[in-house]
Amino acid sequence: MPTQSNPNLALFYCQHTPESGEGDRQSLEAKYGKSLRLFPMPCSSRIEPIHLLRALEEFADAAYVITCPEGECRYSDGNLRARKRVQRVREAIASIGLKGDRVGLVMNSRENPKSLARLVDEIMVTFTRFEPSSMLKVPGQ
Amino acid sequence: MPAKYMIHTRAAPNRFKAPTKSGIIAWWEGCLGCLHCVKKQCVYGVYGSRDLDVRQMIDSIDNQCMGCLRCVQGCPRELIHKSMNPEYEALGDSHWTPEIISSLWYQAETGKIPVSGGGYPGPFSGPGFDSMWTDMSEIVRPTRDGIHGREYISTGIDMGGTSGHLSFSNSGDLQDNLPFGLDIPLPIILRVPSFGSLSGDTIKGWALAAKELGTFLALPVDMITGELVSFRESLIPIMSPIQPHSGDGLEGVRLVEVPWGENWKEIVKRIKESHPSALISCRVPLVRGMVEKIMSLVDSDVSILYLEGTASGRAIDDNSIFIKDGIRQTHLALVERGIRDEVTLLAGGGIAMAEHAAKAIICGADGVVIDFAILIALECRMCRRCTKGLPCPVEIDRAEQSWVGSRITNLLGAWHNQLLEVMGAMGIRDVRRLRGETGRAMFFEDLDRSTFGSLSEVQKGYELE
Repeated sequence: MPTQSNPNLALFYCQHTPESGEGDRQSLEAKYGKSLRLFPMPCSSRIEPIHLLRALEEFADAAYVITCPEGECRYSDGNLRARKRVQRVREAIASIGLKGDRVGLVMNSRENPKSLARLVDEIMVTFTRFEPSSMLKVPGQ
Repeated sequence: MPAKYMIHTRAAPNRFKAPTKSGIIAWWEGCLGCLHCVKKQCVYGVYGSRDLDVRQMIDSIDNQCMGCLRCVQGCPRELIHKSMNPEYEALGDSHWTPEIISSLWYQAETGKIPVSGGGYPGPFSGPGFDSMWTDMSEIVRPTRDGIHGREYISTGIDMGGTSGHLSFSNSGDLQDNLPFGLDIPLPIILRVPSFGSLSGDTIKGWALAAKELGTFLALPVDMITGELVSFRESLIPIMSPIQPHSGDGLEGVRLVEVPWGENWKEIVKRIKESHPSALISCRVPLVRGMVEKIMSLVDSDVSILYLEGTASGRAIDDNSIFIKDGIRQTHLALVERGIRDEVTLLAGGGIAMAEHAAKAIICGADGVVIDFAILIALECRMCRRCTKGLPCPVEIDRAEQSWVGSRITNLLGAWHNQLLEVMGAMGIRDVRRLRGETGRAMFFEDLDRSTFGSLSEVQKGYELE
């Protein structure tokens, strides 16, 4: 069972996020260990509500998505679609009594684009304040 | 007639979902719900039976997709897109490419030859083995009933040298002891790779496969403990140059590997005393000037030379020299000295596909040694997390011994069939005849030189004023 000191975050990110190659991914894995699960995506619009909900159900205390800055999506409006879907999931989990901010979206800045490592650091700072999710399946049940 | 060598394969499913080349991005905001994609377009029924592997977050519409693009073209609102999968592109490196890795997974899973449609999409020529084109002219006259038909194609090779001549005494008796040798039914030897998240079961699974296939598994001598001792006839203990091994517990070992080093003569002498019946193989790194080293070895008790390149099949001290060049150089030097049959030449490092084995043999090797290929057969992604102390994403160390054995048997079953196909298409019936048969291949660099090499040269008397 995850504890408060070691909550698990599922992080989905667009492959066009700066400095998000395989080497950067492994450095983050080394830094955060099992408390961070990284899932690169071809575009943030690959995310579907089911991915976020299943992550919350199976292993994550929170699930976040990192997208390209507004207006800079290679697929024109993929990041806007991702934002809509994340919003829908937030509403859905809030309706069952879970805090909506367990699901979030971070849109990179156009003027000052941040690297994946920096974005993850920022998310992790807020994330450590979370209590373990009551939605997680208890092993054996 | 002896029984034909056959490798019996049986499906050994992946334990983890394999990342596939591309992913579908379906923009379902604006979807008409016409079900065109589900019912009409997808002939593989991918949309109809969706599933999500939560552990890896792999959606079945990605890894079951065959890439026909019918859904992309057929969506009335043009909502479906396909894009390269970043997980797939991150596999391996420039030598162990994602295509090679996923093809090895397929072969280890099914035991079948990978077949791709739509022709060959790769570049005209490339580095290393990619600059060799094999001659398939006999493909128009195949064997009567396929590669497993009545015309037997042998893939067996002899290990250990044969004498160049016999010496008799005046009374007509043989003066020398005849050299002894071994034969293996497949020109491929397994070797424990230099990294990997390995457990005792992984090594035992490899040893099991080596025994079943009739070949060998090379591994550091200190790994041979416990149950592995019972596999010793199929193992090649690799001796350490620093810590001499007493030889206890290794009775019955048929082949021993020693590394090239300052004190190799001493090590060879010691092994000859402790294991008089074992063949000795010497591992020579692929470096500049290795031919001199090899020539100093051939006059000793060493009857097998193992030429080892880097994991990407290049020389250790020069990235521009490929293992194929090293093999050709060594083979020709031995031929010139008239002692080619007195040693067996093995080559390893970067052997990633069945065609590499055939091409290494064409360049002059008797057989090949494969290392990372047997790790990739166990779903390795060549991500090298294990070398950095990070957990293995596919938990190779937790794989069962029998599964490991089946995966390797499948891989080599597929490679064996490809060797038979290649040799059948070349009209060669014995892999021993393929050795050094460079007439069955064309080398890009040779063609380039002979065709365009003189373009920049101006013949005497024809200079422009």
